[in-house]
Amino acid sequence: MTDTALHPSAFEAHGDHGHGHAHHDADHKPAFFARWFMSTNHKDIGTLYLLFAICAGIIGGGISGLMRAELSQPGIQYLNYWAAWLPGGEQGLDHSLHLWNVLITAHGLIMVFFMVMPAMIGGFGNWFVPIMIGAPDMAFPRMNNISFWLLIPSFTLLLASPFFGGAGTGWTVYAPLSTYGEPGPSVDMAILSLHLAGASSILGAINFITTIFNMRAPGMTLHKMPLFVWSVLVTAFLLLLSLPVLAAAITMLLTDRNFGTTFFDPAGGGDPILYQHLFWFFGHPEVYIMILPGFGIVSHVISTFSKKPIFGYLGMAYAMVAIGVVGFVVWAHHMFTTGLSVNTKMYFTAATMVIAVPTGIKIFSWIATMWGGSLTFKTPMLWAIGFIFMFTVGGVTGVVLANGGIDDYMQDSYYVVAHFHYVLSLGAVFSLFAGFYYWFPKMSGRMYNEALGQVHFYIFFIGVNMLFFPMHFLGLQNMQRRVPDYTDALQYWNHFATIGYMVMAFSMIFFFVNIIWSLFAGKPAGDSPWGEGATTLEWTLSSPPPYHQFETLPVIDGGDGHH
Amino acid sequence: MAGAKNHAYHILPPDIAPIMGAFAGGVMAVGGIMWMHSAAYGGAVFFLGVALVIATMFLWWGKVLTEAHAGDHTPVVQLHLRYGMVLFIASEVMFFVGWFWAFFDFSLFPRPLIYDAVSRTVSLATDAAAANAVWPPKGLEVIDAFRFPLLNTLILLLSGTTLTWSHHALIHNQRGGALKGLWGLIGVGEHDSVKKGLWLTIVLGLIFSSIQAYEYSEAPFPFKGINYTSAFFMATGFHGFHVIIGTIFLIVNLVRVYRGDFTPRQHFGFEAAAWYWHFVDVVWLFLFAAIYVWGGWGAPVHAG
Amino acid sequence: MRIMGLKGIVLAAGLALAGLGQAVAAPAAPPAAPAVAAAPAKADPMLAMDGAPAMLPVAGIGMPVDGKVTIQPQVTPNGRRALWFHDVILFPLITIICVFVLLLLAWVVVRYRRAAQPVATKTSHNTILEVLWTGLPVLILLGIALPSIGLLNAQYKPAPDNAVTLKAIGNQWYWSYQYPDNGGFEITANMLKEPKEVGKGERARTDADGPRLLATDNRVVLPYGVPIRLITTSNDVIHSWAIPAFWIKLDAVPGRLNETSFTIEKPGVYFGVCSELCGARHGYMPITVEAVSPAVFAQWVKAKGGTMPTGKPAAAIAAAQPLPETGAAFEAGNSTAPVDNATEQAPTVTQGATANPAGAGNAGQ
Ligand code: HEA
Ligand code: HEA
Ligand code: CUA
Ligand SMILES: [Cu+2]
Repeated sequence: MTDTALHPSAFEAHGDHGHGHAHHDADHKPAFFARWFMSTNHKDIGTLYLLFAICAGIIGGGISGLMRAELSQPGIQYLNYWAAWLPGGEQGLDHSLHLWNVLITAHGLIMVFFMVMPAMIGGFGNWFVPIMIGAPDMAFPRMNNISFWLLIPSFTLLLASPFFGGAGTGWTVYAPLSTYGEPGPSVDMAILSLHLAGASSILGAINFITTIFNMRAPGMTLHKMPLFVWSVLVTAFLLLLSLPVLAAAITMLLTDRNFGTTFFDPAGGGDPILYQHLFWFFGHPEVYIMILPGFGIVSHVISTFSKKPIFGYLGMAYAMVAIGVVGFVVWAHHMFTTGLSVNTKMYFTAATMVIAVPTGIKIFSWIATMWGGSLTFKTPMLWAIGFIFMFTVGGVTGVVLANGGIDDYMQDSYYVVAHFHYVLSLGAVFSLFAGFYYWFPKMSGRMYNEALGQVHFYIFFIGVNMLFFPMHFLGLQNMQRRVPDYTDALQYWNHFATIGYMVMAFSMIFFFVNIIWSLFAGKPAGDSPWGEGATTLEWTLSSPPPYHQFETLPVIDGGDGHH
Repeated sequence: MAGAKNHAYHILPPDIAPIMGAFAGGVMAVGGIMWMHSAAYGGAVFFLGVALVIATMFLWWGKVLTEAHAGDHTPVVQLHLRYGMVLFIASEVMFFVGWFWAFFDFSLFPRPLIYDAVSRTVSLATDAAAANAVWPPKGLEVIDAFRFPLLNTLILLLSGTTLTWSHHALIHNQRGGALKGLWGLIGVGEHDSVKKGLWLTIVLGLIFSSIQAYEYSEAPFPFKGINYTSAFFMATGFHGFHVIIGTIFLIVNLVRVYRGDFTPRQHFGFEAAAWYWHFVDVVWLFLFAAIYVWGGWGAPVHAG
Repeated sequence: MRIMGLKGIVLAAGLALAGLGQAVAAPAAPPAAPAVAAAPAKADPMLAMDGAPAMLPVAGIGMPVDGKVTIQPQVTPNGRRALWFHDVILFPLITIICVFVLLLLAWVVVRYRRAAQPVATKTSHNTILEVLWTGLPVLILLGIALPSIGLLNAQYKPAPDNAVTLKAIGNQWYWSYQYPDNGGFEITANMLKEPKEVGKGERARTDADGPRLLATDNRVVLPYGVPIRLITTSNDVIHSWAIPAFWIKLDAVPGRLNETSFTIEKPGVYFGVCSELCGARHGYMPITVEAVSPAVFAQWVKAKGGTMPTGKPAAAIAAAQPLPETGAAFEAGNSTAPVDNATEQAPTVTQGATANPAGAGNAGQ
């Protein structure tokens, strides 16, 4: 993209991409079952991932609705009724309270592992990484498919676990609560669910790295690669190197629970804090795994709707590399209250704050990209601009938390919940919507409805801010996380947040109506609906692209672009 | 020419193996959970899952071999495979990082454990002894690093050289020759260093595993209840598991050598197995140095 | 607070936008509160059940206030220092950064909309700018790091020898406390239930005890003006002992002794909550500290059957060694089964001071 400044005409000459040739081999699609259950096609697999992520988003978002309902007032409102549906253990207060922990655990895991990651990497990554580098498919098409299908048993295990008592450990699955604190099969189900999801992601990471290193079209050097591809490349490395450590950690949980090892049991010399180190060694890179592809998407959207190449392309690419690298050495900022020594705490404070620098480079480069541009405010652009601001808000509260001495107050309070929903539910999710609206015409061949899209954005924007901003206040007033009930003096902002949820939920109606309507009745999109601002290779193909694109590889012209 | 494949990448037809493998993994996971919680048929479901996984592997890699022979593995596709294998090994390395992390947590910051050889359990020291915690836990006898573990180290190192010998022979096409003597009985020609090297490597790998199994059965400490033994058995156990996988990988390659699958120029399956074997070897060196030698230093050594 | 007012306005704007007729009752003034913190004795006789001097909590001190948006008032020197760092440095800074980004965005959106700028420029580099927006954040972060490290140093200053040691032990789901320097008696603190929830013979919460979900049957009594050494550990899973008004939060980890210290400056009742997910009733194991004068504290200790130390028993100090990394000593025999969580039980166990290996060197905490 960006500075490669492809002239579509220049490479029309080299490639053929089946515009309008209905009967071409390239567009020959397998029959239904073979196409969707045995797929080796990156676009179809990408579509499966997106559908999966939307379903998971509905479930995870629905669960958060239950949570907000319960939290709308002090006292236990609904849990007792819902708990009647939750087997295992006798009914009663503890059972209801346990249900709360089950809900938040499911919500956290679903949103992280089954909504954001599949949508960003599996969905958009699969769809557009090969196209953007001018490749006909992924490097390992068969392995690509098992990455997707592994999510099905994985998600099934997680969704089934409540029916066996439920895992109420939080998404962090801290020992010893998760070892001798919770007998019954549910926690094992959650653990093995993570094993399967982890295997899926590791295979996916191998696939993406190989594809990106090895299948770039002639002339597509690393320094000409679109930023989204860069972002997926860095993300894939984070996955590859962090997930196996999580795998080891949760395997230790499994053996502690079932086979009598004592990794985390102090009676046998084990160390509960060890689990936290292992978890966060994975967990912190994980949060960048969830946001880096979003950075990539936002770069494209901003550039397209500013009709300008991205500002400071190389800086943008290497900022992501820097975030990825530094992201591996800051993990213990999640453990400031566990009794770290003063030196350890100082180190992790300093290291964590370093990440604000490359992130700042990205924020300012996006703004500089818009500077001097000719801006149009189509729906994707609105989400992208919203992303820049909301992510900044979430990022700076991260910097507050990074101060070990300050975090003693904030840790485990709603201030943290506010922080991470700003970077996730207003960061990662905004970028997902930006990408979805941006590429919807390309993927489906039809335009979405602009008016509905804009209404969705504005109402959602207001809703989530009402929902999550007051959580800062709740945190500062010391509402702890992971409780269904709170002292009466925390009522005002909690109630407010729940109203915010309803506003947000209302906006989602527009989203779903829009996609369903547009899929069937949207007006045809044409190859490049966003005009001259959109310079990456996907816009040179038909919409939707031929079943196999680039039967003849495109050649990227050798000019040095705008460096 | 519109619509014709005009590049060297490998575009695959739809395939049932991935979904089958994924669900096989799911069955295995469910079976594992059932088994761990003593549900009826838990073990059966688990092994059904294992069987399905193995079946998938046969199906899947069988196709890969067919494709290789059909010429689908162009140089660029072979490069894919190399990248894939290197990255996979990188992720395996990180998996072991997790186990080493646990080991070093326990050994560098020892807890005041006292091991009772009779009950084979530990208790925590309460008094002044608590201040002088040692690693391994007080009273625990360790396996003598310089007996079987050292032998095993030598075996693995040796197996690395035999494997390299074999690989070298493959590249230089040192094969064939008359079927003579013991080698001849198993179909190995007198000049066939490829088969000889591979056979030796596999046998060494099997000896390693046997020694390791014997060592486990004779271990002077139990599996349960102690941080030392948790770290010891899980780290060396996962290594052992990888040795077994590596050995199977080598056996598959041996079969393929007999079938004449490899040429001096195209034999990536062989190379992948070799890389994997070297990786397993290196992990062992770290295990040996860290857990057996350094980690057992100063502790009473189990006699026998 | 001035700055917080700003947040209020932003939110109010959000609300108005949403077209919700909701009154923005925003930061309502805290309910008129009795000015004196230590209302001496004679409130609810029940309050003194454990021999604690009766003291009424003061609204807005040591507890949340509805609709409020700021950090709770601090009553320890480190707390005030941290509060200053947050309110004077961090909060204004992040607000400025956000407003700055917002203004830049607003500017480009207005100035470079297509109607105003039909043809885009092609600038994609400006070295000076790039250096600036890398360098300035670095400087800002250095500016944050310095006071941050100073704060950490202050927080980790070891408690002096004359400190009063409080050992807080987490249990599913209540706290038990030991005073190893004072004869090692033990008290157990359970959350007080609401009148309609209590069983027969159980004591229900009254407003004199404190707010719902925060009041406990037995308060932790501590002297003000005297350094307190806090040691936390747990009998089962991880809990976390936290009093926001002290700026203290320290995980109670089974098998470990974590240590920190603080000095309460004012008498009063301060509330906190368990701050690490510990199972079903994680939200129902509050912490209540009552700070009294040292003389009253001594009386209370005596009433509990404890003793005031004449000099520090040297043995206790020598007993434990800090561990290299954490400075946490390891505690023995953690497998005490959790006791039934009934409101009545407040065992006054008298333990030998030797059972406590703390009083250790303070390297870690
Ligand atoms: C997408 C996910 C995501 C992202 C991107 C981040 C980004 C950051 N996070 Fe966050 N974080 C989470 C997800 C994320 N986090 C989650 C899920 C948790 C809780 C987990 C749990 O416990 O369940 C968490 C918790 C968490 C904690 C632990 C809190 C606690 O439990 O006590 C900390 C502490 O340091 C922290 C810090 C940071 C920092 C410094 C950044 C930085 O990367 C932010 C950098 C960005 C900016 C700073 C803004 C833009 C920059 C500029 C405009 C330049 C100028 C700015 C300055 C000079 C300051 N995060
Ligand atoms: C990506 C991560 C993510 C997202 C999006 C959200 C979204 C939301 N979360 Fe969050 N949440 C977490 C991750 C996330 N959360 C985590 C990790 C925790 C900690 C759990 C723990 O403590 O262990 C948590 C905890 C948490 C709590 C604290 C619970 C407690 O501590 O007791 C609350 C309370 O209100 C809450 C509420 C919400 C709400 C109302 C939303 C709403 O914004 C939800 C609305 C729904 C959406 C915005 C999704 C819509 C998306 C789609 C439908 C898919 C679209 C797909 C494409 C376009 C391809 N969440
Ligand atoms: Cu105890 Cu949470
Ligand atoms: Cu983090």
